[in-house]
Amino acid sequence: MFAIPASAPASQTGGGIRHVDFDPVTRVAGGLAMHAVIDLDANEVREASSQATLFRGYEVILQGRDLRDAIFISSRACGVCGSAHSTASALCLEMAFGIQPPPMGITVRNMLVALESLADNPTHLFTRAGPDYSEPIVRQTNPEIWTRAEQTPAPGVAFHGYERIGDIMTALTRFSGELYEESLQMSRLARESFVFTGGKYPHPQTIAPGGLSSTLDPTQMNLSWLRIVEFIDYSLKVVAVWDDLVDFFYEADPRFREVGTGPKNFLDLGAWDDPLVYDGTYQNSPLWGEQRWSTPGAIVDGQLRTTNLQQINIGIEEFVDRSFYADWTGGGAPRYPTDPVGNALSPYHPWNKRTIPEPSAVDWQRKYSWATAARWDRKPMETGAYARLWATALANKLPHRRFLEPTGHSLKMAMPQSTFPETVLEWHAPENWGALERNRARAYALAHATLVAYESALNTYDFKRKGGPDAKVFTHYEIPKDSRAGAGLWGGARGYVSHHMTMDKRVIENYEILGPSTFTASPADPFGNRGPMEEAVAGTPLLSTAEPERYVDVLRAIRSFDPCLTCTTH
Amino acid sequence: MTELIAGPGPHDGYAGGVVAASDSVMHIFWLSGMSCDGCTVSVMGADTPKLEDMVLGRVPTIPQIVLHHPMLAEDSGADFMEPYRQAVEGTLGAPYMLVVEGSIPDDQTFQQGGHFSAMGLGSDWSGAMQAVRAADQPLRATDWMWALAPGAVASIAIGTCATWGGIPAAAGNITGSMSLMDYLGGDYRSTRGLPVINVPGCAPIGDNFTETVTQLLQFFEGTGPMPEFDDLGRPAWQFGETVHRHCVKAGYYEEGVFAEEPGDNECLVEIGCWGPVVQCNITERGAINHMGGCMVAGGACIGCTMPGFPDKYSPFYKAPPGSALSGGVSKVYGGAIRRLRRMSMKTGNRESIWDKADRVPSAWAREAGERGTIQKVNAYFYKKLQYHGSVHHGKRNAKQPQPQSLDILRQKGVDLEASVPVLGERVKPEEEI
Repeated sequence: MFAIPASAPASQTGGGIRHVDFDPVTRVAGGLAMHAVIDLDANEVREASSQATLFRGYEVILQGRDLRDAIFISSRACGVCGSAHSTASALCLEMAFGIQPPPMGITVRNMLVALESLADNPTHLFTRAGPDYSEPIVRQTNPEIWTRAEQTPAPGVAFHGYERIGDIMTALTRFSGELYEESLQMSRLARESFVFTGGKYPHPQTIAPGGLSSTLDPTQMNLSWLRIVEFIDYSLKVVAVWDDLVDFFYEADPRFREVGTGPKNFLDLGAWDDPLVYDGTYQNSPLWGEQRWSTPGAIVDGQLRTTNLQQINIGIEEFVDRSFYADWTGGGAPRYPTDPVGNALSPYHPWNKRTIPEPSAVDWQRKYSWATAARWDRKPMETGAYARLWATALANKLPHRRFLEPTGHSLKMAMPQSTFPETVLEWHAPENWGALERNRARAYALAHATLVAYESALNTYDFKRKGGPDAKVFTHYEIPKDSRAGAGLWGGARGYVSHHMTMDKRVIENYEILGPSTFTASPADPFGNRGPMEEAVAGTPLLSTAEPERYVDVLRAIRSFDPCLTCTTH
Repeated sequence: MTELIAGPGPHDGYAGGVVAASDSVMHIFWLSGMSCDGCTVSVMGADTPKLEDMVLGRVPTIPQIVLHHPMLAEDSGADFMEPYRQAVEGTLGAPYMLVVEGSIPDDQTFQQGGHFSAMGLGSDWSGAMQAVRAADQPLRATDWMWALAPGAVASIAIGTCATWGGIPAAAGNITGSMSLMDYLGGDYRSTRGLPVINVPGCAPIGDNFTETVTQLLQFFEGTGPMPEFDDLGRPAWQFGETVHRHCVKAGYYEEGVFAEEPGDNECLVEIGCWGPVVQCNITERGAINHMGGCMVAGGACIGCTMPGFPDKYSPFYKAPPGSALSGGVSKVYGGAIRRLRRMSMKTGNRESIWDKADRVPSAWAREAGERGTIQKVNAYFYKKLQYHGSVHHGKRNAKQPQPQSLDILRQKGVDLEASVPVLGERVKPEEEI
């Protein structure tokens, strides 16, 4: 599979084969480089290697620290989804301590994580991925497509206001385009809504084991709620923009379906707990996991394998053969041969992992990334907001159907009436999976997150209205002295987030963080599989007619994952 | 405080006619060390001014910003790195600022390859300078930092990692992380004579950063006053006060009332708030657009803007040692003050008409009813003191005629039970809230 000759120079080799380094890959979060072998005769990428260029030592710094430091230190690993990491850390501590927050505490945490998606999804769609489909880029790389776009009416004009596809592309222009600027403004609105209860963004200051410390002033709740309402119309607009754009590209050239393709392997832990069911225990995690507003799921080749959080958890492994770390297993028995309910655990499971960095020069044949090869059931898995849609749609187990309705192959979302009348959006699990479908799904994920934020806000009012212990935000706890393990199995704007911790004598013994891009931006594994992003880039056709060596389709493929390298490696 | 070199003022050489808009540009080179991108995310949310307005040249009095930022750039790879190389070589053709986010790893100790933080390849490095890495190996972010800082009009460290080391430099770290000002060292000055400017916070308030950049540029352009920096290079107007001084909960501290557990509304010191000894403006400025802020929302301050963060504020969610003394004193002193204030409030919460009528005619505050003798005596002396040397409104009020239509429904004999609402049924008296 890795056919690059060891002696190949980094720049141009003979014939039409060229080694191209995208270092850095821009418009992604964190430090990412991609090394690609490109066949210029066939106009196709042959090989790709994904490199995380940053290591900071969070997991090592957490070892031996007071447990009360865990949330505020670990969540600072990522400056985009700090709330998702804070809550994952809180869940991890709650499992280890044996505590359960009151329903209001759970609901407000749900709302914060949904709001974080409202801040992040628009910036992905319009400041990171969007410019690749904007007028200046399309004009330069594919003038014939631009001409066609100028003449093609946009079917979603009623929602987004753009008469033609070309108008959408103009609005996607970096910095000066209307949709670009609007995404920054909407992101501000979501942040404003967030900070009334989260304190600040991106690193919130109120999330605690046992709930949170927000004071929930009625004015704060009102100001927060009114900002969520504005995302109802905005979601309809964003979905219409991306539906029109994706469908247009497919019509203009069907080969756009082949950009960034990969197997339909998806992993998601679900998110947004049921406030009356979540109890923090590993024993009951299969129950409370399936009660979430998005259903946990492992999907392999388009088939749902499980929605059981324990089954998902025990399948997680990290390999470091291609990464700048030493193997920690040492041949002996793993510290935790089983999980707390007796399922066998791999020595490569995060509960058994140790982070042992070994920086060295980049060698594409050997070690080339700070990312580990995170796998589920030894398979490369895509994670992301779209994995959440896939799992929720296919599982069809969602208990909360006030605004959401999965069908087994799609997810319906009833957007309440705001400026537009009530409108039902439906995301269909697509036949062909690739870069454009990832972006389309991310647009629908914005609508999904809007509805979760909206319903969570309604639920905060409901708990407040009913009063009593359910309306409290925090449960008192004592830190146990004995040896324990916890896992925070959760999700953020980009999907999958897990924190695994072991503790003893009131301090953290070990702490392991996996983010969504630990899976998607991973290097090759010892079983001969590329990482998902590598797989998507390898095989991507180069469709630019005017500037083939700009490799815009390679970048479109990479950015469709919205990789976050600060979540990838810590 | 550092002396800055001023640019020409708007009246220097003014020859009449309208003042032309600034046609100059200022490049900003953004570098990430051991960063989480949280500073970038904060700056993308800044409002005063907005990043996009600076980039689009919409902020009068400052040059248009040409931003070289990995998360916001158009180009990737060598095309993206090209202007970095030009800036190092001095061929950029325009002035630039350097902004560093994230702490600085000790990567310069890796002689034979390897890094903790990298951007670009050896082939992107200036051919005019000695190679620091082979052409196909990653360049260390720290290479760009030492090479770009000397030619910058200003080097700005954004966020607590770049300003003071932050979490990557916490106990147990293995990357040798440090602050930008420690990395560049005591001799460092920008082309305008400035040591590293520090805008701390984890994450920082985005507006603190865009405002500082704007003030510096206005000063360089001669269109604004000299920004003042404190002895740690922080914008003095932003970090001169403790976060406690402007805290919405500071009044609770003054009255000796403390939150017992997270979610309580009172002063958060006893659940681990370090606000009284932390320099930050988030309670005054808000987290974004004057909204939120840690304690405003109920979050305890963990000192994230301070050079000692995180270790000197750990463990979090534990009361700072000093609070036992200061909080104890505040409980005694503040407790007494609070009781006196409640007495004044009791008087202030009564309309003057009620005092004169010696009853409360409205549906609310019925329990206030008649005042006792002690309350009347208190009120008498309180008014004496209050109006001493001025006009006694109590006496003037006594001469006013009392309204005759107080309690009008009772006077008219209106039967509420008999008046039927348009929709639904009237709430029974025993069901009243």
